[in-house]
Amino acid sequence: MRKLRALWLRLCGIFSARRGEGDLAAELASHVELHTEDGIRAGLSPEEARRQALIRLGGVEQTRQAYRERRTLPGLESLIQDLRYGLRMMARNRGFTAVAVLTLAIGIGASATAFTWINAVLLQPLSGVAEPNRLVTLESVTPNNGWVPNSYPDFIDFRDRLKLLDGIAVTKPAALSVGNEDHAERVWGELVSGNFFAVLGVKPELGRMFLPAEYGDTPGAFPVVVISDRYWRSHYGADPGVVGKTLRINQHQLTIVGVAAPAFHGSMPVTAFDLWVPYMQQPVLNGVQVRMLQDRHNRNMLGIARLKRGVTVDQAREELAALAGRMAIANADVSEGMSATLLPLWKSPHGPQGLLVGPLRILMGVCVLLLLIVCANVTNLQLARATAREKEFSARMALGAGRARLARQVLTESLMLTAAGAALGLATVPLLSHSLKFLMPPGPMQLLVAMDTRPNLAVLAFTAGVCVFAALAAGLAPALQVGRLNLSARLNDGGRSGAAGRGRNRLRSALVASEVALALVALVGAGLFARGFQTTLRIDPGFDPNQVLLSQFYLNTSGYNLQQRKEFCRRLAERMQSAPGVTDVAYSDGVPLGFEPSWWEELRIEGYAPRPNENMNIFRNVISPGYLPLMHIPVVEGRNFTEADNEADDAPLVMIVNEAFVRNFFAGRNPVGARVHGWGSWFRIVGVARDSKYHYLSEPATPHFYVPFRQIYRTDMSLAFYVRSQGDPAGTLSALRAQTRGIDPNVTVFDAVPLKEFIGASLYPQKVAASLMAVLGGIAVLLAAVGLYSVMAYWVAQRTQEIGVRMALGAQPVHVLRMVVGQGLKLTAAGLIAGAALAFALSRVVSAVSFTNSAMGVGARLLGVNASSPAIYLAATVFLCALAALAAYLPARRAASIDPMQALRTE
Amino acid sequence: MGEKTDVWQGTLALMALRTLETMGPQHGYGLARRIEQTSGDLLQLNYGTLYPALLKLEQEGFIRSRWGVSDNNRRAKYYELTKAGQRQLKRAAAEWEQTTAILARFLTPAEEA
Repeated sequence: MRKLRALWLRLCGIFSARRGEGDLAAELASHVELHTEDGIRAGLSPEEARRQALIRLGGVEQTRQAYRERRTLPGLESLIQDLRYGLRMMARNRGFTAVAVLTLAIGIGASATAFTWINAVLLQPLSGVAEPNRLVTLESVTPNNGWVPNSYPDFIDFRDRLKLLDGIAVTKPAALSVGNEDHAERVWGELVSGNFFAVLGVKPELGRMFLPAEYGDTPGAFPVVVISDRYWRSHYGADPGVVGKTLRINQHQLTIVGVAAPAFHGSMPVTAFDLWVPYMQQPVLNGVQVRMLQDRHNRNMLGIARLKRGVTVDQAREELAALAGRMAIANADVSEGMSATLLPLWKSPHGPQGLLVGPLRILMGVCVLLLLIVCANVTNLQLARATAREKEFSARMALGAGRARLARQVLTESLMLTAAGAALGLATVPLLSHSLKFLMPPGPMQLLVAMDTRPNLAVLAFTAGVCVFAALAAGLAPALQVGRLNLSARLNDGGRSGAAGRGRNRLRSALVASEVALALVALVGAGLFARGFQTTLRIDPGFDPNQVLLSQFYLNTSGYNLQQRKEFCRRLAERMQSAPGVTDVAYSDGVPLGFEPSWWEELRIEGYAPRPNENMNIFRNVISPGYLPLMHIPVVEGRNFTEADNEADDAPLVMIVNEAFVRNFFAGRNPVGARVHGWGSWFRIVGVARDSKYHYLSEPATPHFYVPFRQIYRTDMSLAFYVRSQGDPAGTLSALRAQTRGIDPNVTVFDAVPLKEFIGASLYPQKVAASLMAVLGGIAVLLAAVGLYSVMAYWVAQRTQEIGVRMALGAQPVHVLRMVVGQGLKLTAAGLIAGAALAFALSRVVSAVSFTNSAMGVGARLLGVNASSPAIYLAATVFLCALAALAAYLPARRAASIDPMQALRTE
Repeated sequence: MGEKTDVWQGTLALMALRTLETMGPQHGYGLARRIEQTSGDLLQLNYGTLYPALLKLEQEGFIRSRWGVSDNNRRAKYYELTKAGQRQLKRAAAEWEQTTAILARFLTPAEEA
């Protein structure tokens, strides 16, 4: 307490320093007078008495110093002095300050934005949940080690038998149609197991979450819904009486039981859902048949588990794998060779983070690169300033300032610059981080982005760390330089300012060279990514996406059953076929190169004996007869599907396979007429279609097969509708809308896009990486050019005299020009060599970074091309050389125009 | 011990507090002289060091100061013990006595082994 009080008084003392000193002076004067009087009384002469008094008092200056140090906090006081002085210096050198602060703001703003994204996607994937570090995602593992969602019966087994988990919940994102027929609105929600909120630890803001009684597995028993805070505010004006009201979802009344806590927006990173409905309402809401909830084959539920306290992921994973192994044997018909595993949330291949992880890692790397360039730039600026200030520093040292104090002064100024830069950079973070939306693939996902763009504590801490790092990185060299200042040498220099020593120039040259090196790395990176993207774009997908309009229907939201769906598709196709300009109409379950999950079936092929552990899960699509002709995928053997391949009892089940399928399973045999087993029945192969691309443009030829829509389509499948027209595909949209309304006014056409744009989604990670690299590479190059220019300009200014002498002795302007530009290019060359080596090494690392698409859970490479593509290195080198020549030319021209007489007369 | 000794670290504050307690409000010079007298002129005080020590005591709230007029009409700054100062003096004195008592046990020749 006493100590605190003293500290406070000393703190106050800083601000009343002058008054305190006057007080002491008066007190000491009175002391001396009192003492002198005593001396006179004792018989001394006045002079002698005063002399004695002063001697006994001791050194007045020392007393004053000790008193001052006690009165205030000396460390803090000098810090404030440094800050004041630094502010004055910053204000006086506006140009320097502006350049340094802006440069730093770019570097720090970019890294803080990247970190905000990484934080939201990877580090704190879910908000509003309790103890997120104990949450993991639960994935089923296919025999070939792919990660897939879980089936409901598997979930029940996991839920009831695992001991090391505090609960497992499953969820399935779903588009729901809310409201009455005529103005239905599509809202994204999750169909969740009843224990969902309990497992995640989400608190209600209002009302309640699901009760244990609602955790049951009885289909259709729980007509309740929990809404998000966002939905509550936007649709109910935050009405506290919302609990108990009903919400019409997919034409069924559900009772609102609660509002989730504001921070919670679902179980997928960066994705915001608004409604949560018990999974068991599915049969009612979506017309999903009850038997499909009991089908282990029906793997479409994302699992989230909470580890028991003190249990490691590995322990729980082991228990799960053992159980899954036993289940695979017990349910060998559907689960043979399957296993299950637990993954950290961010590793889940489902949802947007699967796409973003790879690009974000690269982004962070590039930001580090950018930050290094920024630091090199600011170091250079400060070194130049420190050299220019040597006289000032020498004077201060001569007056008794310690080296440490001066070095601290330089570091303080450096910290002030970075703090200003960080403040400016941080201000841009909310703006920039919102642009994550633009990194998302087009389509429904873009609407779902939930991004807390306010800088949170983690981001602030990160920025502060970056700020201190930048201050040290940029201030250390100048501070050390001041510390090494040779006082006598400087003062004896006779006022010739700024002829910096050789060693210091070497340091600055090294800095510029490293900047050039880093810029080359950024440029080569941008080139490689752009090139990779271009090459992938040029790959022939094997089908023709031009002039095709794709729309996705959510018929389950209209309460259609299977028969009604098929009927709807048939009638819509019929009507569209006769619309003007339309040449082909087709519909299917999956969309090639799309973004939605794609499904497979485990096949048994007559006459083919699979190798042990061979993956017989083959990807498939469920198509209408018009699909292959519409896509311009030729049937090379046999025939296409017809309307006769239907659900009628006498119609045999048929299948079309692709060429890769034939190569794999029918080496030398005729596939047409062969039998294949899937979905519990035998199919006959009637045709062979040309290979095309299904998941990624860069994938190798993969076995794939098609089955007729009318034979295999089920209510839990998606529905994509294709219309090929002669003109602009967007032009057919109005016709599609009108025809759809003509059939059923309840069905709304959502998400209609040209197929060409839609398949771009498969290129998204590459596109994101390429555009990020292009932007950041551009900034890096610009900064390096500024750095080079500033060093060259300084170099010229420093040698004005020398150049003057040379010119007085007969050097021509062109010689001077050549000398300066040559110097600049020498630095650049050194940087380029180092940069090329670094870029080569880094591109090897980066080419290993992959991304996952929710379709497959397998990685695809981000970098499509050979890391050592020489043309890109050459182009980047030439470009940087040209830029360096320009950066050196501007100061060189100034040097060449020096008037020798003027130059010699300076100083 | 005929020579004059310097003041040990930390003891000056205790001496100042004690002197203020016995003499009442006192100015810096008077305080210094009194401390020397009390020590039987064995202590040689560097008067200058007294002022930072007084400032510290004041910051800690053990004494307070005000400007006043001395007996022979000189302006001087008077120091005065506060309540907290009296408590502190008791505490410090007790501690000091204990310390010296312990040291005394070590330094007195052993009477019976």
